[in-house]
Amino acid sequence: MSTQVHANLTREQVQEISAGLDEPEWLTETRLSALDALSELDMPDVIRTPGRDWTNLHALDFESLVDPLHAAEEKDRVSDEGVEVLEWSEALAKHEDLVREHFTSVVDAEENYLTALSTALFSAGTVIYVPEGVDAEDVKIRTRMNSRSLFMRVRITEKSSSVTILERQSTGDTEVDDARYYSGIVEVAAGENSYVQYGSLQNLDEETYHYSLKRGYADTYATVDWIEGNVGSRLTKSSVETYLQGDSSETKTVGAFFGHEDQHFDVSARVWHEGEHTTADLVTRGVLDDHARSVYEGVQDVGADAWDTSSYQRENTLMLSDDSEADASPKLIINNHETEASHSATVGQVDAQDLFYMMSRGVDPERAKNMLVEGFFVPVLEEVDVEELRDDLEELVAARLRE
Amino acid sequence: MSSDQDHLKETDTEARFEFKKEESSAFQTEKGLDEETIRLISEDKDEPEWMFERRKRALKQFQKMPMPTDWPGQPDLSEVDLNEIIPYIRPDIETRGGAENWEDLPEEIQDTFDKLGIPEAEKNALSGVGAQYESEIVYQNMQERWEDKGVIFCDMDKAVQEHEEIVKEHFMTKCVPPSDNKFAALHGAIWSGGSFVYIPEDTTVNMPVQAYFRMNSEGMGQFEHTLIIAEENSEVHYIEGCSAPKYSAFNLHSGGVEVFVGDNAHVQYSTVQNWSKNTYNLNTKRAIVEEEGTMEWVSGSMGSKATMLYPSTILKGRGATDNHITIAMAGEGQNIDTGAKVYHNAPDTKSTIESKSISKDGGRTNYRGLVHIADGAENSSTSVEFDALMFDNESTSDTMPYMEIQESKVDVAHEATVGKIGDEDVFYLQSRGLDDDDAKQMIVAGFIEPITEELPIEYAVELNRLIELEMEGSLG
Repeated sequence: MSTQVHANLTREQVQEISAGLDEPEWLTETRLSALDALSELDMPDVIRTPGRDWTNLHALDFESLVDPLHAAEEKDRVSDEGVEVLEWSEALAKHEDLVREHFTSVVDAEENYLTALSTALFSAGTVIYVPEGVDAEDVKIRTRMNSRSLFMRVRITEKSSSVTILERQSTGDTEVDDARYYSGIVEVAAGENSYVQYGSLQNLDEETYHYSLKRGYADTYATVDWIEGNVGSRLTKSSVETYLQGDSSETKTVGAFFGHEDQHFDVSARVWHEGEHTTADLVTRGVLDDHARSVYEGVQDVGADAWDTSSYQRENTLMLSDDSEADASPKLIINNHETEASHSATVGQVDAQDLFYMMSRGVDPERAKNMLVEGFFVPVLEEVDVEELRDDLEELVAARLRE
Repeated sequence: MSSDQDHLKETDTEARFEFKKEESSAFQTEKGLDEETIRLISEDKDEPEWMFERRKRALKQFQKMPMPTDWPGQPDLSEVDLNEIIPYIRPDIETRGGAENWEDLPEEIQDTFDKLGIPEAEKNALSGVGAQYESEIVYQNMQERWEDKGVIFCDMDKAVQEHEEIVKEHFMTKCVPPSDNKFAALHGAIWSGGSFVYIPEDTTVNMPVQAYFRMNSEGMGQFEHTLIIAEENSEVHYIEGCSAPKYSAFNLHSGGVEVFVGDNAHVQYSTVQNWSKNTYNLNTKRAIVEEEGTMEWVSGSMGSKATMLYPSTILKGRGATDNHITIAMAGEGQNIDTGAKVYHNAPDTKSTIESKSISKDGGRTNYRGLVHIADGAENSSTSVEFDALMFDNESTSDTMPYMEIQESKVDVAHEATVGKIGDEDVFYLQSRGLDDDDAKQMIVAGFIEPITEELPIEYAVELNRLIELEMEGSLG
């Protein structure tokens, strides 16, 4: 790809962002190198079938959506006892070596055009450090976006400990004309025998383009669980990925989306089984109304050394409108025969018999349909064992249905 | 089992496919591909001008299009140097367009098809047989009673001459245009041989017709074209068999198949492919189905070094149905990349895809499939099932389905499982007195039964024999 670097993106701006955060030189260099790489890098992969791109990222001029020096957000960070939840410059001041060791070790800064753009320009960073032996349940990051563009990075490192992190993105009240761009990159390195649960609920306004890449490495006996809810944004390109590197590591990814009007969700759930005796369970459910379009890609990749793997994937889409479109591609890549792997995907509409039954019990059609949609999400909600997140997701679904 | 099938069991299957014959030909082109090659082929066939023009157009398209190289897990095609292939070899026979008696053929060609069991099968189970040797059909015959009903089963080259209008209308125009993919374009430029099948209205051909394709020469390419037109309320089952002896240089098979299924017609297209393991098998097969028509693809891919084959169906008329049953088996050095494509372009259309694969000794099987339900194709349903069996840890099995659903009043289901052969099943069979190899063979035979059920018994036996052969000595 040969995207022209936009005239308003300069090395000086990147240096200014970096200086504003009191960053050491190595980090400034990483950012500048990412900026220089932009013209060489491709967009993240999208699925292509003959004659069709499932998501067209090339039609978007991301750089014109960017306003690098005016990132503004309100961020609440709630920490639990024993956990360090640090804002970026603070993290650098306190644990520079740790940050240097781990920054971009899970998601390469120059992996694709959008990660490079994000690395060059990010202004809101959070580092969560969970020391050995700590169990923390209540770490929250709430982000309200108040500017044209916002880039954030979250980094989690820990060993023999457990943590549940909830992240919420919404758009603040500040008026911004025109489209916006929000990009979030989350890196998780779950050390031996640790547990990380990362829940994210995205409810950005519908003028916002959203790119998100969440990737976790799970060491021996570690578990990385993801909850990924997408309700807002104009276009979302999101990927949730786990590398089960250590023996007996596990992951569970629960995804939910609800699209309406012109929304476009391109969501992926991917797992790489690398160690032995690893287990993955990927569950996604989505509802589409109006002209909304969803693209789902699931990847279960079992490496040659991943003996005794169990890997399951389910994806279900409910279509409420004839003008919507649901595309799905659940993939199995199997290189080890001591594997039990399965996936299934369905697409359908609200069951006419269910609807008829409820109407025969006196429920009006609109309410009956809404109840069935809420019911459709139940199997996913049941997998969410963080009450707060489950309630919020339920509320967002209900609110969408009331519209 | 009757004695007719016993002879198949007793034959040494390996010897039946692996023998080679002296290369002899009446006319062959130089290696490579340019406009001159195409002119020579077209002239040797004495073709009408429009066909030559189509070949030239296809060649231009071929030269423009890039080789497919970026599909995840796809076979490596870097060895396929089209300048090294001999595109056209006319065997040395007297009758062009296919003899009607096996006795009229030169002895070594007769012997080839005898060994492959074709004349025997013709007597017992088929309505008609076509046999292609190198680039041309050498034998073509159909029972008289079908001819009397207006059924046409002839050599494709002959069809260009004798049924010009109908061929001109249907040949690589609306079903598989040369622009579809690079190998369809190649096929359009240098196609030769193949069958033309025409079934008139209200006619049911109750025994299958078969075409058998044999490549004998080293480094040749076979590019036969099959055109099947089934008119309203007609029914036919077409079987395609393929094989070649193994050489050190690569061979290329790039066939084109176009099927037109009329209103309420029923066409089954079955393939048992056993190309030698130096053959690249890159085909384009497609059917267009009108109202209430049914298309069934049954494919067994055993041979070849690399196969890329995704039979596709366009469900054009209301209530049309498509069924795909495919089985792929990949052993050492093989990459069998197959799948199915279905376009639901009308309401009340149905499709089912059932795909099974077996990989062993480092072989690789890929399933790549597409189901597209267009806006307005109300009350359509599709079900895709994929099962893979892996024998060892050097082998690979990938599943890459794509679903594009633009209509809400639909029922779409996809399911896939991958696993190894069950230790408990093997143990149970061993406890009943079978040895390890026999137990595994029996499990495999059970695994592929949905496919063998769809084939006439002769072919089911054949398929089982091939699989047994593939598995011999490779299990432990």
